[in-house]
Amino acid sequence: MNYFEPKSVDEALSLLAKYGEEAKVIAGGTDVMVDIKYKEEPGCLVNIKKIPGLGAIQENGGNLRVGSLVTIREIETNSIVRERLPVFWEACHQFASLQIRNTATVGGNICRASPSGETLAPLLVLEAKGKLAFADGEKSEPFDSFFQGPGKTTLGYKGLLTEIEIPYPPNGSRGVYLKHAVRGAMDIAMVGVAVLVTPDAAKNSLQDVRIGLGAVAPTPIRATKTEAMLRGKPVDAALVKEAAAMAASESSPISDQRSSAENRRWIVEALTRRGLQQSWQAATGKEVA
Amino acid sequence: MSLTINTTINGKSVSGSAETSTSLLDFLRDTLEYKGTKLCCNTGECGACTIIYNGMPINSCVTMAADAIGAEITTIEGLADGDKLHPVQQAFIDTGAVQCGYCTPGYIISVKALLDRTTKPTAEDIEEAVSGNICRCTGYNKIVDAIHLAADRIAGRA
Repeated sequence: MNYFEPKSVDEALSLLAKYGEEAKVIAGGTDVMVDIKYKEEPGCLVNIKKIPGLGAIQENGGNLRVGSLVTIREIETNSIVRERLPVFWEACHQFASLQIRNTATVGGNICRASPSGETLAPLLVLEAKGKLAFADGEKSEPFDSFFQGPGKTTLGYKGLLTEIEIPYPPNGSRGVYLKHAVRGAMDIAMVGVAVLVTPDAAKNSLQDVRIGLGAVAPTPIRATKTEAMLRGKPVDAALVKEAAAMAASESSPISDQRSSAENRRWIVEALTRRGLQQSWQAATGKEVA
Repeated sequence: MSLTINTTINGKSVSGSAETSTSLLDFLRDTLEYKGTKLCCNTGECGACTIIYNGMPINSCVTMAADAIGAEITTIEGLADGDKLHPVQQAFIDTGAVQCGYCTPGYIISVKALLDRTTKPTAEDIEEAVSGNICRCTGYNKIVDAIHLAADRIAGRA
């Protein structure tokens, strides 16, 4: 196996161009090391951890910019994230174990593109974007279109995620990330649901609502039909119930060792209901009745 | 392809060679013969291989040996001072927090890292610090007792 430690994004990109499908990018290594041991050793390993400039968390106007090499623990212990982006914070807080959070990078969790990737549903509801570097230039891409399937992103074999840009949610909005797994720590989500609601000025109706679903489709998804149905409506228990059932019907889960597809749909329904109730109460001080 | 790895383990400069695909755990155990760090799940899920890396507990089985270059590493062998055990080790013995013992080095390292951060850990701190370690004998209550005892002794409260 060839091994490289590029010192710049350009150097990494030329290695990816040269080795194509044979190249595997490694950062924290918590996923890739397992693949090397139990799946296949790549022809070429490109360790990007020595590239300077990809490890910072910075505020930039109404956005938080997070370098792709920032670890999950660095995000979890960042006070701005905790205060301004609690949905993202919660996902990082519930992520695997302390040992893994100390090593795993946010860029790795994103580029792995696992449908159950802990940070992904939250990043979708926060409408975050990735800064992608390619040999012919940089581009900014919303994560909505970034994920193509399990393990597949628009980076292909050629690009590198260098930064994520997360806009602060609208004033007055509140959100939650709810994960269902058998064990609290060190368990992959059977289902993860991220919800963000913005009430209208009178705190009666939903001015905006975003629902992200993890581990229930080939990629993390937004429940866009449910969101459209909810938008502008006054909130009551019947509406929340209808929305939860609709979100479940928008998911397309598979059955695997963690859960049957049917059970996953029930959990989507339960977590969407709970997520809407909790977010609404946090945003308005009123229980859904 | 093989790399020369110069690193610091338990305060001592050491050097060895490793394949680029080698994990830090295999490098420690098989090349450097630090056998105290245990191999168990080998996928980063059980915590038996926990070491302190630049001040942080990590799973050495899913870390590249290459990442040891220039790093400061503490393994279970680095805790005792001669014949005098580290307070965490002594507390595990005194509370009977060891059953088969296989998970114990990983636990002790996770607890040392916790008590390096705070000697007044809350229940939440303790849960966070050791929820990445699995004891298949399930002796969890005594492990929690050991953590409290070690914290009290380090802080001079016991």
